[in-house]
Amino acid sequence: MIRAISLVCALCLMSAAVFPANAQTMSYADAISQLAMACRNDIATYCKGVPLGPRLKTCFDTNEARMSPQCQQTRGVVYASIVRRAAAQRDIGDICSADIARLCGTTRAGESLLACLLVASPAAISPQCNQAFTDTGWRTERARQ
Amino acid sequence: MKPQQISAVAAAVVFAAAVTGALAQQEINSGQMATSLAGVSNTRLSLTGAQMRQAVLDNIRNYPGILPPHALSFPQLENLAQFVVEVDFDFNSAVIRPSSYRTIGAIADALHNPILLGYGFLVIGHTDSVGGRQYNVGLSQRRAEAIRDALVDPFNVNPAVLEAVGMGEEQLRDPAHPTSGVNRRVQLINVGGKFCFNASGERYVCQ
Repeated sequence: MIRAISLVCALCLMSAAVFPANAQTMSYADAISQLAMACRNDIATYCKGVPLGPRLKTCFDTNEARMSPQCQQTRGVVYASIVRRAAAQRDIGDICSADIARLCGTTRAGESLLACLLVASPAAISPQCNQAFTDTGWRTERARQ
Repeated sequence: MKPQQISAVAAAVVFAAAVTGALAQQEINSGQMATSLAGVSNTRLSLTGAQMRQAVLDNIRNYPGILPPHALSFPQLENLAQFVVEVDFDFNSAVIRPSSYRTIGAIADALHNPILLGYGFLVIGHTDSVGGRQYNVGLSQRRAEAIRDALVDPFNVNPAVLEAVGMGEEQLRDPAHPTSGVNRRVQLINVGGKFCFNASGERYVCQ
């Protein structure tokens, strides 16, 4: 189900230049496997033997003009999703500080704050915090445990 | 997540990899991986990555042979929460194949799970017996480092919580079939204690 949602989202985003603010971020697993699928031939042609990581990104940058439109579009969406999920996981404490103080009190820290957000109804959380929390992917990861 | 699952020693789970092209995908559940990696905490673990690497070299020197006559063991690690995955690499190379990108992403999803926040992890690479033992130590070290590096960029895992160790063929999973693919694997172990590693592989308490 989660994969299905991500795939649908990837399709609906194919023509989007940037990651829409109200879209869900993909799991890293879904994101990178979409890249592997969409760019399979381009990787084999232009980036064979290039390790996953910054060097692969550089290879994509270098060869962008030659790569298939499908690969280019998917790549943009995938990296935007990865960046947004990472930013949400990094900034969630700041973005949700007011919500956390209201819902959980000020004495808790770290994981218990996250647990507090996890059990809270999305309706009880400010839209900004809720969006950031959704972007972290922690709700969907929790559902997989 | 049930408390007894957290406290139980997590069983290592092996997922067989399909190796037929970039579309092949392993169905690894990052949530279950996170649960398997959580819980068992041993703040008194004194084993470092450097000591493990030395033990691997000592095992080759002390027990020479085409195949390791004596399987290397680290009793300190056996009861720690761990997870085993198969990652496909190019032949004789530390380049992860696109068929395993999903696996690396799933490991990253698991390591970003809040229940694993701040823990330190060993990333241990194992090879089969094809190739010399000494060579395989270097190959598995480079492969473990390639996984660590990919987890860090593009997947934003904190490098300070990852220690890469290459075990070569010194811990064959199936010694009766030393060239079998089941021996080629990556082991993730939660070393507990909310430790991080510095660039020299020494542990310190994460901030």
